[in-house]
Amino acid sequence: MKIDIIIIGVIAGLSGLFALYGTFGIIGAGAGFAVMVTYALLLKIKPKKVEEKTLFQNIRFKLPVIAVLAGIIWVLAGKFNFPVWWQIEFVAFAFVGFAFFTLLDWKTLKLEKSHFDWIKRILATYALASGIFIGVTAQLPQFDPEIELAKLNKPPVKLAGLAGPEVIAAGREVFENNKCFNCHKVFWEGNSDRGPNLGTKQIGLYTEDYIKDQILNPRRNQAPGFEDKKSKKAMPTYYGDDLSEDELSALISFLKTLRDPTHMPVEGKFPNQWTWWDDKDAIAEGKLVFEGTHPQTEGLLCAVCHGKDGIPMMTGALDFRNENNPDTTKIEGDHTDKLLKDWPDALWYRRVTRGIPETPMAAWGMIFPHLYLWKAEAYARTFHDPLDKRTAKRPVPPVPTKEEIESWKTKGLFLDPLL
Amino acid sequence: MKQSQSPLKNTFFKTLLCLLFIYMLGHLSPFLPASSNSIFTNLSFQTLAYAQDDEEEDEDEEDEDEEGEAEEEDLSYLTDIGPAADHEFEEFSFLGMSNRKFTWAAAQLHILFASFILGCPMFVVIMEVMGARRTQGVRKAIILSNVFLAVLIGVVIGITGEIIIGIHHGVLYGLWACAFGALIVSFLNYFHRLMNIRASAFVGAVFGTLIAMPLTPVEHYEVSAIILALINGAVGGLLSNGIMFAQADFKFERLAHEITKVIGICYSFTALTGGLFLFVMLVAYKDFITYLISSFPMLFMVAYPTLFILETVIMYIYVYSWDPLNKANKKGRHIVTGIMLNVFGLTLLMALDGPATFMQAPTKPLADLLTMSEWDKITTSIWMPLNYHRLVGNGTFGGYMVCIIGAYMYLWSDKKEEREYYDWVGYIGNLIGVAIMIPLPAMGYIFVAEIYRYDATIGMYIMSDRESMFMLVQGLLVGTMFSASNIYMWVSMKRIENAERFFPAMKFGFVLIVISATIWFTPRRFFATMLPEPGMDPNMVLPDNLAFLALMVSKNTAAFCLVTVTFINYIFYTIATKTGKVHYGKINPLGPYVLIFLGFSDIWLMSWMGTIRELSRMNWHIYKVFKDVTPEKFAPSLAESGFHVTMIVWLFFILMTAIIWIGIKYPKTKKKEIEPTQASPQMAE
Repeated sequence: MKIDIIIIGVIAGLSGLFALYGTFGIIGAGAGFAVMVTYALLLKIKPKKVEEKTLFQNIRFKLPVIAVLAGIIWVLAGKFNFPVWWQIEFVAFAFVGFAFFTLLDWKTLKLEKSHFDWIKRILATYALASGIFIGVTAQLPQFDPEIELAKLNKPPVKLAGLAGPEVIAAGREVFENNKCFNCHKVFWEGNSDRGPNLGTKQIGLYTEDYIKDQILNPRRNQAPGFEDKKSKKAMPTYYGDDLSEDELSALISFLKTLRDPTHMPVEGKFPNQWTWWDDKDAIAEGKLVFEGTHPQTEGLLCAVCHGKDGIPMMTGALDFRNENNPDTTKIEGDHTDKLLKDWPDALWYRRVTRGIPETPMAAWGMIFPHLYLWKAEAYARTFHDPLDKRTAKRPVPPVPTKEEIESWKTKGLFLDPLL
Repeated sequence: MKQSQSPLKNTFFKTLLCLLFIYMLGHLSPFLPASSNSIFTNLSFQTLAYAQDDEEEDEDEEDEDEEGEAEEEDLSYLTDIGPAADHEFEEFSFLGMSNRKFTWAAAQLHILFASFILGCPMFVVIMEVMGARRTQGVRKAIILSNVFLAVLIGVVIGITGEIIIGIHHGVLYGLWACAFGALIVSFLNYFHRLMNIRASAFVGAVFGTLIAMPLTPVEHYEVSAIILALINGAVGGLLSNGIMFAQADFKFERLAHEITKVIGICYSFTALTGGLFLFVMLVAYKDFITYLISSFPMLFMVAYPTLFILETVIMYIYVYSWDPLNKANKKGRHIVTGIMLNVFGLTLLMALDGPATFMQAPTKPLADLLTMSEWDKITTSIWMPLNYHRLVGNGTFGGYMVCIIGAYMYLWSDKKEEREYYDWVGYIGNLIGVAIMIPLPAMGYIFVAEIYRYDATIGMYIMSDRESMFMLVQGLLVGTMFSASNIYMWVSMKRIENAERFFPAMKFGFVLIVISATIWFTPRRFFATMLPEPGMDPNMVLPDNLAFLALMVSKNTAAFCLVTVTFINYIFYTIATKTGKVHYGKINPLGPYVLIFLGFSDIWLMSWMGTIRELSRMNWHIYKVFKDVTPEKFAPSLAESGFHVTMIVWLFFILMTAIIWIGIKYPKTKKKEIEPTQASPQMAE
């Protein structure tokens, strides 16, 4: 019989280690192994007779130890950038542990001498449990039911008679009410990376038809970096049934506003993200735009001035091969000292979309979809910074803050007045 | 003596059967001519009703055509119900209670009592088996009870394998392999002890798997599925052997009988609270309850009352035939009655899960709802997951209720023997509660995963939006329950000789429990909605690089750790009881109070999860089919819900305390008073 138990124990132990290895890799398996060894060692300790302790004896070591431990936890949590509520939570659980271990070593209770004793104790037990549950539910963050009620009492979205900003606001409401924030961040808003951040991905660069198709048939085109099995099934397919035509239109109007004039679009799932500067597909499409062969940008031919192989065909055209080229001086009040290799994304975007007065470099942003202009820029950069020679990807820019996004509008960085 | 009793009993059973037959005939026959198909293949009487309406409308139209422009006769007097027609709905309020809170309390109380009467009989019958002498009749009945137990265990292991490992039809492999493994081993061991425990496991595994494979409809056999079947078959074989040849322990018989007495009283309370629930619904949500019931005409007019009556009859037979059948040495028959009681109980549970899941996830496409058969409406996509979840949940609930019975009776007993016995009852209750609770998180996971699959919006509302803090409280409760269970084990082990050798290792396990509970409790954000609303701090969100702590991978690891440590502690506990003397009756008085705390937490958690499930429909009575347009269509705050649930649980406990007193303690007091004059022993006690 003993051998059976040993065999089952070994199989169970190895299965557990394998599961930990599968989930957390070698660290998980190592931690599991350490736990098993600790158990084995502790079982070898010679048993000590359990002695009754007074309350003072019970807590005289525990309390200082837990106080020190709580301090360490507080500092460590702070170092790891846990917000203050999490620091409080961890420290609170350290004291829960203290209470737990104090209870384990609690002096044996005296036997009840009368009915009153057990009634008192039973009521105390119920009071303790009720107190904990009522206390916890009362102290945890609350919401105001009136806000939900107000939302529920709102009439459904009807676009008739609404103007641009109102339609966008209605679209945002649709986005919020359908819990899209659960999986998609919009720049700084939201708190999940299950799906792409629609702000930094700049979903607004895409056509309305594409966005609509992504909502109605989310499994047709999987966002780069979200090709894993779980992500493929994550987006629900019922929005076509749930959303009215007006709601869908409003939602698309809102999504069309999600663009960033200061950064290249970002792809991928956190933390494995990249920008289009390093996206070979975007660069390959950008090459088509640059060379004038992309069907969506018919009439745009960057190569006619900048050269198909990067050798400028026209005097004054920027030579993308030379990473030390300076910025243009032809625009009054808009010049940076940065060399081409150090150009910020916003400058690339500005020069291409707004053009350079009195040169053949037109304001292409007024004519062609910006989606392709960003891609053409990503390709242009490869003339002095070829993709195959890069040792590292360009850093993913920090997610723009609320204030930054507001400033894009006030500074007029968008060409579209609606935004 | 035997001969003189038999005719009476036979008459009684015959009369009972006749009454049942007449009842069924009377209730089923009006429906039979309504359809040319069998009632089992076409349950859609509502569809028929609609079809009849359509025909009537067509006839009306034809009449109108014939009469041309004849003046219309005023027939309103035929439908005018009188002054009551002017009655208008009003929101009712009394002592801070509202329509919703009344409904909430009535529904919750009903479910708690129903869980007790459905959960307890599952292990009561197994306990009865454990306590019965192995006569030939009992051994026959054990074959059936082993298969019953194996079906339950096979489903639980199978569904866990299906979801966690992803084995296609894992539940069927588990069910068939475990059931047939148990059946074969029980049958082979029936005549005499043919196999030892190892051979039983082997035979169960091999034959269970061989039978399960052709019975499971899959295109390819996967290795993981066969391993699952082998494990299930082995479990079935082991259990069967163990139970068939277990030494009869009279303590089990006594415990089963005592719980059955409580079940009997709780049965009345289930019916009472069920009636209360219906009345409250008729006042507060008249339109909705009318729609719901009329959507399931066959269920509510035929199947449910029939099942309920049959279960009631069998339950009373089970309760009141206990002593007579014991005395007549017909224990086997009583065990079979117990299994029948469970079969009807579980069928009833599954039947009512139909409308419950229909409210949450009505069968799609919703456009076909009017023409859909009743069976299709019952078998929603979340129907089976809820059945599994409730099956396991009720078992856990029953286990912890046994803990409470044990604890109360321990405290109410003054005799040494009684205290020893009820100390043991507490141990058994905790054993059942913890053992069944271990697969419970997996069942909950399966249920919520299916809800996500049906409509992710509901899942998001639960996990990330207005119910996210509710789920955080759930995490806290689960951590509390596992902790309390472990504290009880610790306290219990202090009364076992030589158990000290496990204490250092157990303390290490407790450290892991606290860490796991911390991780389980850690939320992604400390505001109560998906996006911060006015008055909330938007910065209370975990940074992206730390967010993994709040994701399922961390929660699953924490849950795994909690379960594993508890399991290890139980192994220590079991070894200690086998290798050292257990001083029953000498438990630290803290133990019973820990059990009461544990029971209270379990029932609170159960009520809380019910609240979460109900609120997750948002402002819909039936999701996307029947909207809630009452003033209370919003989710109540966490604090309000917490207080209300606590009040409901208090009410339940007050009632249960009275029931335990009346069912177990009071008869003992009475017996003690008349003891000197009545010396004859009762076999069941």
